[in-house]
Amino acid sequence: MAAAVKLQPATTRLAVGIGAAFAPLTLIFVAFVAVPLLALGWRALESGELQDNITSDLVVDAMRLSAITSTIALVLALLFGTPVAYLLARRSFPGKAALDLLVDLPIVLPPTVAGVALLVAFGRRGVLGQHLDALGLDVAFTTVAVVLAQTFVSAPFYIRAVKAGFESVSPEYEGVAATLGAGPLRIFWKITLPLAWPSVVAGAILCWARALSELGATLVFAGNFSGRTQTMPLAIIGVFDAGRSINVAIALAVILVLAAAALLLLLRVVASTAARGPV
Amino acid sequence: MLAVDFEKRLGPFELRPRFAAAEELVVLFGPSGAGKSLTLRAIAGLLKPDRGRIELPSGVVFDSDARIDLPPQARDVGYVVQELALFPHLTVAENLGFALGAWPREQVRARLGELVEMLGLQGLEKRLPGAISGGQQQRVALGRALAAKPPVLLLDEPFSALDAPLRSTLRREVASLRRQLGLTAVFVTHDLQEAFALADRIAVYDEGRVLQLGDRREVFSSPASVRVAELLDTRNILPGRVLESSEAFLVIETEHFLARARADARYKPGDAVALCIRPEHVIILRRDRPHANSLDTTLDVELVDEVASGNSHRIYLKAPGTDCLLEADISAHPYDVMGIGKQREWRVALTLEYAIAVPL
Repeated sequence: MAAAVKLQPATTRLAVGIGAAFAPLTLIFVAFVAVPLLALGWRALESGELQDNITSDLVVDAMRLSAITSTIALVLALLFGTPVAYLLARRSFPGKAALDLLVDLPIVLPPTVAGVALLVAFGRRGVLGQHLDALGLDVAFTTVAVVLAQTFVSAPFYIRAVKAGFESVSPEYEGVAATLGAGPLRIFWKITLPLAWPSVVAGAILCWARALSELGATLVFAGNFSGRTQTMPLAIIGVFDAGRSINVAIALAVILVLAAAALLLLLRVVASTAARGPV
Repeated sequence: MLAVDFEKRLGPFELRPRFAAAEELVVLFGPSGAGKSLTLRAIAGLLKPDRGRIELPSGVVFDSDARIDLPPQARDVGYVVQELALFPHLTVAENLGFALGAWPREQVRARLGELVEMLGLQGLEKRLPGAISGGQQQRVALGRALAAKPPVLLLDEPFSALDAPLRSTLRREVASLRRQLGLTAVFVTHDLQEAFALADRIAVYDEGRVLQLGDRREVFSSPASVRVAELLDTRNILPGRVLESSEAFLVIETEHFLARARADARYKPGDAVALCIRPEHVIILRRDRPHANSLDTTLDVELVDEVASGNSHRIYLKAPGTDCLLEADISAHPYDVMGIGKQREWRVALTLEYAIAVPL
């Protein structure tokens, strides 16, 4: 089969002129983003305390908690978000538009609003929380609350990506697979999911990154308790509140920047393999 | 036996196909949007009719009265769609074996060997569909549909994306495979040549209905209505009425001339009919040579236009003093020998056998 013809952008005099005009603005923007990040790295190295800080109890606890909670949030998003995404992509049903809106809402909602909403629902005197409380289950201000807050704000990123992934898989594949005798689950596992796989991975990375950086909803709904609800972003806040050395915050920040950069890089790799065709 | 008789409303479109097929290849022929593909989807179980009945050789798969509606998985039908829908992440062998999930491993291997041999796919087993040619993709799609040995094969314009020589090769292969395997096959196309090349019988579709179902030659030689004649590209369709109906021939008065047509006892004088004759049956003669069969209608005409199409020419002829335009096809060789393009004055003969009356 003929390979798709790749068009190179024409390097016209006009394009060169525009590039030259835009270069100063671009440089200013690059500096604006790069200088703080480089300053962070420079201060971390200059202080000479980076290693001590990274191995301090506060930082280690925060890292462990962040890793555990964000991973559980991701698993919950995969478990519940995948069916939601499939239904939104494939079926029409009453209330679909409303569900679509509801799923996207946490993306644009301020996280603190999400925190208040979760508190009103799951807090000790909340709509659901009072019944849980009667059963002796406390949710608010526990590690469970951290997971719920992260899932609430991050799952929509996964659902959006995977919904688009499912939409890109022609229903004809599923129809043909059915005529070949495959049941619904076999069709989903063998055909639909593998074909949507790059979107699933991309969505999972975005979701995980969002869960890892979650701050506002967690602060309101779970509080900032070391070892229990203090994830890395909360630990940075905690450093300032407790009047500790800014170097601890810098150490946490450096770790988060590196984690974020690694996730972003992974996302690029996934996107480029996806562009080469399904795995 | 395959028997289809159902109704399905889709917005303003009403699909009401009715036809049956034995161990043969039935072509559903008609313009785009006539409901041919939807009919296949309903047979395969991917579209649920509102009412009616669909029977396959294995039994009734849909019956609204008896509340039967088997899922596609249980219908035992091989279905090849227009886009083929080869699973792009699975190898040729995995695609071919997709329907054999429940078979024992040894039997799967043996069946794959058979399919690869039958379709000439040797050496491609480990390739992905994106890495083989269009014709090979067609064969894989066909093999995948046939793998579990279904008694029914449904083909939805499977060759539309291929070039002409490859299409005709694959047509022959499909026809011979069908005979060899004793399948009931339903083939959808809007290509008249393809329909004629493949069909044992043709169902002519228009606006969701089967206008005519019959043996291929019968449909071409006796269209049931003017619409069928139009769909079959009859070209020369002249409204008129019957003047005389005898055992030997009909005499039809068209707007421009009197013509003799094939005898047809259904008609009596006064009936409104259209005189239909396909371009390939309009014979071009020199005016100075007498025509052999005196019962054929002859007309003096002027050549007004022509279009060459590779191995034949379509000639546009006008009876002088009228606006009656006839179309005739003539092969490249007689065209050259007779020097058709070099003069305007010709005579045509409308062969009695092929000049037919179609009810208006």
